[in-house]
Amino acid sequence: MPLTQDVLWYKDAIIYQVHVRTFQDSNGDGIGDFQGLEQKLGYLQELGITAIWLMPFFPSPLRDDGYDISDYCAVHSSYGTLDDFRKLLESAHNRGIRVIIEMVLNHTSDQHPWFQESRSSRDNPRRDWYVWSDTDERYKGTRIIFLDTEKSNWAWDPISKAYYWHRFFSHQPDLNYDNPAVREKMWELMRFWLDMGVDGFRLDAVPYLVEREGTNCENLPETHAIIKELRRKLDEQYPGRMLLAEANQWPADLRPYFGDGDEFNMAFHFPLMPRMFMGVKLEDRKPITEILQQTPEIPATCQWSLFLRNHDELTLEMVTDMERDYMYDMYAEDKTMRINLGIRRRLAPLLQNDRRRIELMNGLLMSLPGTPIVYYGDEIGMGDNINLGDRNGVRTPMQWSGGWNAGFSTAEPDRLYAPLIQNPVYGYPAVNVLSQLGSEHSLLHWMQRIIMVRRSSPVFGRGSIEFLHPVNHRILAYVRKLANDVILAVSNLSGAAQAVELDLRRYKGNILIEMFGKNIFPRVTEQPYLLTLGPYQFFWFKLRKV
Amino acid sequence: METTAQDETASGHTRVIRRENKLAQEKENLLTDDFLRQLINVGEVDILVGLPTYNNAKTIGLVVQSVQSGILRWFPRERAVIINADGGSRDGTPELVTGVSIDDVRPAASLHALRTLHSVSTKYASTPESGTALHSIFAAAELLRAKACVVLSPDSENIQPEWLSRLVQPVYKDGYDLVAPTYLRHRFDGLLVTNLLYPMTRALYGLRIREPYPSEFGFSGNLGSQFLAQNHWEDGANQPGGELRFTLAAIRQQCRIRQAFLGSKEHIERRAAEMVPALRQTVGPLFSSLESDFALWSTVTGSQPVPTTGPETPELLEPVRVNRKRLREMFSTGVAELSSVFQTILTPSTLAELQRIAGQSDVTFEYPAELWVKTVYEFAASYQKAVISRDHIIQALAPLFRGRACTFIAENRNGSANDVENNVEGLCLEFERLKPYLIQMWKSGQ
Repeated sequence: MPLTQDVLWYKDAIIYQVHVRTFQDSNGDGIGDFQGLEQKLGYLQELGITAIWLMPFFPSPLRDDGYDISDYCAVHSSYGTLDDFRKLLESAHNRGIRVIIEMVLNHTSDQHPWFQESRSSRDNPRRDWYVWSDTDERYKGTRIIFLDTEKSNWAWDPISKAYYWHRFFSHQPDLNYDNPAVREKMWELMRFWLDMGVDGFRLDAVPYLVEREGTNCENLPETHAIIKELRRKLDEQYPGRMLLAEANQWPADLRPYFGDGDEFNMAFHFPLMPRMFMGVKLEDRKPITEILQQTPEIPATCQWSLFLRNHDELTLEMVTDMERDYMYDMYAEDKTMRINLGIRRRLAPLLQNDRRRIELMNGLLMSLPGTPIVYYGDEIGMGDNINLGDRNGVRTPMQWSGGWNAGFSTAEPDRLYAPLIQNPVYGYPAVNVLSQLGSEHSLLHWMQRIIMVRRSSPVFGRGSIEFLHPVNHRILAYVRKLANDVILAVSNLSGAAQAVELDLRRYKGNILIEMFGKNIFPRVTEQPYLLTLGPYQFFWFKLRKV
Repeated sequence: METTAQDETASGHTRVIRRENKLAQEKENLLTDDFLRQLINVGEVDILVGLPTYNNAKTIGLVVQSVQSGILRWFPRERAVIINADGGSRDGTPELVTGVSIDDVRPAASLHALRTLHSVSTKYASTPESGTALHSIFAAAELLRAKACVVLSPDSENIQPEWLSRLVQPVYKDGYDLVAPTYLRHRFDGLLVTNLLYPMTRALYGLRIREPYPSEFGFSGNLGSQFLAQNHWEDGANQPGGELRFTLAAIRQQCRIRQAFLGSKEHIERRAAEMVPALRQTVGPLFSSLESDFALWSTVTGSQPVPTTGPETPELLEPVRVNRKRLREMFSTGVAELSSVFQTILTPSTLAELQRIAGQSDVTFEYPAELWVKTVYEFAASYQKAVISRDHIIQALAPLFRGRACTFIAENRNGSANDVENNVEGLCLEFERLKPYLIQMWKSGQ
């Protein structure tokens, strides 16, 4: 299946987020690798996804799951070789699957040779590649992101007897983007991967590239200028490739990252995700519609990227204090589930393994405006292990079968990079791909179906959204529209059956065709359109004038 | 033409059917299609706030703002609804109530709201009486499966958001069934409560509920449903005074009852011209309940305190001005003009004593506690016997109550808060002491 030539391919994409290490081990060393991932591309193709987003696979001390890169032009030996990666890329493309990789622009590992040179002496040519200071008093207005581990954004370097700036862990020194050499070098590294054929980059931690005194050192104009420059080069030299922003910000602050369509192609909609969980728990559409109403319009070529869960905690930075308390109490009563300002849990355990709620949340993910990202394992309802440190509990090996090491690896179990989920509910004997493939009504098959339906219409990826406001607040209803194609999505956020009257008068004369079963529903008239929905049920209707 | 037993049975049967039809009709009127549609949209709730209204535009704004603030502050996570049962206001009251809804189109003005707050208004067809409004609110509470409910007076000029918390929390968090209010009252505010309703319900039912006829109260959804199911509506709960019947029902069912101190309460006292309606709404239901509750109250001795949040005997605010002379004159005139009526209600000795004090001067006038208690008990017994029209009995009590009020004011004019409280307590004990007198009269009537 050839790749589409459409430069806006990312607007119709279904992205699957996976860490090479977690997916499939081909050589029996207990760690997933490129060859293993390549072997499983057929599975992903069957699932229906159109792109994979690979988490960092570069050489790294792995003190932050690979986001501490020590060499940008190589792959970590545990995952294979550059040739293995090339083969994976080629195989994916042959199956019509694009490949998005990470690019951590903001910082490197403190083990990166650049930093080693930079710290070695104040006269080193690479000294100015990082942000150094004789005092830790600069940039006082800057928040600390990793509150659980870091006390300051400055760390003392005993070798060069100075402080260096870091927005994340202290072993991740920030690069100095005021230095043109750094900017040029980072573009050169990106070209290395673009030349190989990668389809896009997820740029990590973009709001923090530049620091200025008297500001909060986030979202600065200078940062936007750097991104514009990267994007200009990308479009000129590699048309059809894509930049995805990781910027955990409020929608209004995120909007500038799209520029006039000349910065990022896509950006994660961080504030929406916790509000989807909140809406289902509150059984109230208000949190969802409110945040989407506050979300500004973005240029036509741009796209929001939506997700339910990812490799990080369910971040609660973009919620109010009251909302955060509510989320903690509802979803992480056990304090060990909390980390930084978030909850380190997977989708299924967060939803108490309630199949109806898992389906509803995926229904929202797939029908709200944006490109959905599915986190590996969530398509089968994998669980987590909160006894593993940091966020490792949501990064355990993929559960392929009920057999040896869940079919992930032939290694001795104690050699696996992380223990398998073993508990009776989510453990691999109960939750695995093989058994779900054999069951027609499994979550996996359901996910295949919903992805297929989503892909059947470009309206989901490219259409406008208009919220209906039925008085029944447990019902979330919206119309997606692209040219003459109209889709009505109606979701019951509550655990009880609901009746709702929808004002569809402007679509008078249309009949509704339910998109999963293709059944016809009554014609729209001047009267309120009455629907009844079971607990957590949702409908997608195509409106057709007959 | 003679009637046969069969005819009487048929006629009784017809009456039952008529009554059932009437009840069904009333229920239909309460739950109009539009109201039902609104309730469907609200769905199950944790907390229901009931607002019975009738032309309350001047004060309802403050009330609903306090309710909204109270919900957002103390119950931000709970599913809540405001149910306005309106008696046909023409001053825009329902619109002011529904205006405090919070949803994804209308966010809260100042506080951040986690969830939607519905505010629903319904007009009931019958006359604007609080009983019908209560019926609507109870019916809505049952349909919405509300866990904790509160009814608030629409004309409170000094309601605070805290009231919501104090009336709801004991029900929602601690499993109480009824939360009655206590107030920081003006000294001569609520004279009917302090001189009759409180001491008499306390003596008869054995519980010291300071406001047995509350204009604000919290209750559990279960209690509301039980009250609905017991057909109280059939015998007059749709009439004014449903609040008192509800309190008595809670006592009768041995529910968990608590009191909550709400602070000062403005505009509780009614004007003299409203005395008869006030008696109809309060003393009427109380007297009529005694009939069915005889087996209960006749066995109760003494009284028990009710657990109270906040001070049990609140300090009194400065007195409101009351024209004692006018009260005494109305008493004396009433005793003279209604002597033939009193002859059918009161014992000769009580009537003679009343006539004696009616002749006293303004300075020496005193309506002693013992005489007052005997008066009330004799009225209650006569009400049971229906010696004359029961409504006339209630009306006839009005001038006598004014006489008692006059004495209460004189006794407490210069007293401290403790003195006033001691006087009220003395009167209560008098009601308790003389209870056998009521029982004796009651039994003789039976």
